Amino acid sequence: MTEGGREVERRLSRQDLLKLAAAAGGAGMLAGAAPAGAALEWLTAESGRLQVLDWVGYGYDGGQSMFAAYNKRYPKNKAQITVMTNEANALSKFHAGLNFDLFRPYIGWVKFFAQSGLVQPWDPKLIPNLKHLNPYMVKAGQYQGKQYGIPNDWGFDQILYRTDKVKPKANSYSLLFDERYKGKIAWFDDIEMPEIAGLLHGYKDTWNQTDAQLKQTQDFLTQKKNLVRLIWSSETNMQEAFAAGDIWISYAWPADYAAMKAKKLPVVYMRPKEKPIAWVGMFMLLKDTPRPHLAHAYVDAWSSAKSGKWLEDNYFYGHANRLAHPSSSALSKALDLSNPKAVVPPFANLDRDIPRRAEYEKLWEEVKAS
Amino acid sequence: MAVEARTEQLAEPRPRRRRYRPSMSVPGLLGLPVAWLAVFFLVPIGIVAGYSVNLLSFGSVFGPASHGFTLQAWHDFLHSGVYLRLFWKSVKMSLLVSIAIVVLAYPLAYYLALSGTKRKYVLLLLLIAPFLTSYLLRVLAWKVILGDNGVLNSFFFWTGLRSPEHPFSQLLYSRFAVMLVLGYIWLPFVALPIFVSLESLDRGLLEAASDLGASRLTAFRKVTLPLSLPGVVAAFLFVFIPTIGEFVTPSLVGGANGYMYGNQIVDLFETGFPDWQTGSVLAIFLLGVVVLLTLVFSRFLQPRQVTAG
Repeated sequence: MTEGGREVERRLSRQDLLKLAAAAGGAGMLAGAAPAGAALEWLTAESGRLQVLDWVGYGYDGGQSMFAAYNKRYPKNKAQITVMTNEANALSKFHAGLNFDLFRPYIGWVKFFAQSGLVQPWDPKLIPNLKHLNPYMVKAGQYQGKQYGIPNDWGFDQILYRTDKVKPKANSYSLLFDERYKGKIAWFDDIEMPEIAGLLHGYKDTWNQTDAQLKQTQDFLTQKKNLVRLIWSSETNMQEAFAAGDIWISYAWPADYAAMKAKKLPVVYMRPKEKPIAWVGMFMLLKDTPRPHLAHAYVDAWSSAKSGKWLEDNYFYGHANRLAHPSSSALSKALDLSNPKAVVPPFANLDRDIPRRAEYEKLWEEVKAS
Repeated sequence: MAVEARTEQLAEPRPRRRRYRPSMSVPGLLGLPVAWLAVFFLVPIGIVAGYSVNLLSFGSVFGPASHGFTLQAWHDFLHSGVYLRLFWKSVKMSLLVSIAIVVLAYPLAYYLALSGTKRKYVLLLLLIAPFLTSYLLRVLAWKVILGDNGVLNSFFFWTGLRSPEHPFSQLLYSRFAVMLVLGYIWLPFVALPIFVSLESLDRGLLEAASDLGASRLTAFRKVTLPLSLPGVVAAFLFVFIPTIGEFVTPSLVGGANGYMYGNQIVDLFETGFPDWQTGSVLAIFLLGVVVLLTLVFSRFLQPRQVTAG
């Protein structure tokens, strides 16, 4: 060990040594100086607070339990959370020169970001909880054999409706376009709406529609837009409108169903016959992060069964950790948790990369503007 | 004695007319605001303009950067019926709001300025009292009032005008809701400039008009209104310019139908797949229209002469 190294070691407190022991896997620390040296190297090299770009509710605004273990283990490098409203917002932040260590886009963006050069693959060996994560979701986070995305929260895009007000003709996404409920329907402000329209039209690949299909989709959505009262981008706004009775039918996530049930509203979270679109949140590691090891530790904390159960019990989303089981049997059923393949065909349509994303986006913006 | 003094005063040589020299305090006074404007207003506008013609681009994120002047996005915008229709829709909504609240605010300002009430400043304070609360809070409060089970609909249910199964759904998440809330938010901004222009009115002119036989209505039409017109125009612009690009109120109470041009700009920058080039075109176009309108209306901002006849 160099003189400098010994000097650093002398300055380590007992707390730091414990942290080192944990980082080096404990045994390594006891077995010899080399692993400890490696751990020491990254621990002393990675300084400052871990910069995380994540969605509302996943920071200190309620979601802190899911990374409490990380903060406890690295009190000098606690996570600092910046809120992103969507992937485009994250892109805008990167473009504006803001620096983060990791962020959470959703599954449809994994390929895009992997190709963008903005991110780097994770080292699976540094995430011990990875082995407990749903293998289908883990695979969905890979690009060219490398693990670019670590799956975490997941759920379905289904339809929430009031049973006392709405009588669907079929369990189908068509309820979002039902003329009988004009002025009581809410859509989601996202290009998932063209995807849903494509599923309804029976397109072979709704994520890669042809020009003719896109034109048909745009005409369909533009024509049906007059039925819609709210196009929501904030879940809170939608829940508020639903609870107030301003809307009866909405594109929704499992958490919305749970929230309306908690308000004692008579609601159903309908699984459409077209098979629901499933989404998975994917942690991605930014290319120029100065804190890669801390980022791995943070993601590992999020990936634990304890965090997973907390997420399921409190936010009513699914969690990729197969050892996490929610207290609510209704949620288990809604998420089909007994089925590890619940998010992939033939059970659901796992969201995916959209090669013509710009065209989809233009279409959707024009529908909203129409 | 008095005559002598006056003579001395008259004999005093007149000072030579001094050439105008800008005081050194002028740069000191104007330097900071001008620098502020340049850095935080002109430079950002220049950047946005650069994006609109592809001199700047998002290329580093989406693939190879393609910096090169092109007017393609402008061409697409000007040939896109969708965005121009949305712009026209926003102009109409904004015009309606601006005209309606100018009409509503004028009598209010007239009363405050010319009624001679001693409590006019107390009343003025009451008028601006809502500003003591948050903008968002004021907008959100309307949701409680306008919702299907809100205050207004509950009143209609109570009176039997509507049944709970058929509430007035157009009250919330509609163009009407956006215009109503915008009107409520901007009313004080409209009343204040009109109040100021009426306050500074030379009352002697009104007395002269009366002495010359003008009725109160004629005096208002020939004297008060022309002299207060700069205040009215300023008030109109105060509302029209910000509301035409408004996006917070429509996103909270507008729903699908109350979506405005400002929302589109925000969405192009922030949601889905960022299209900063189109977003910049929309933003610069809006800025251009606003500048043009200001230039057109600025001639009305000068006090008009009052002529007899």
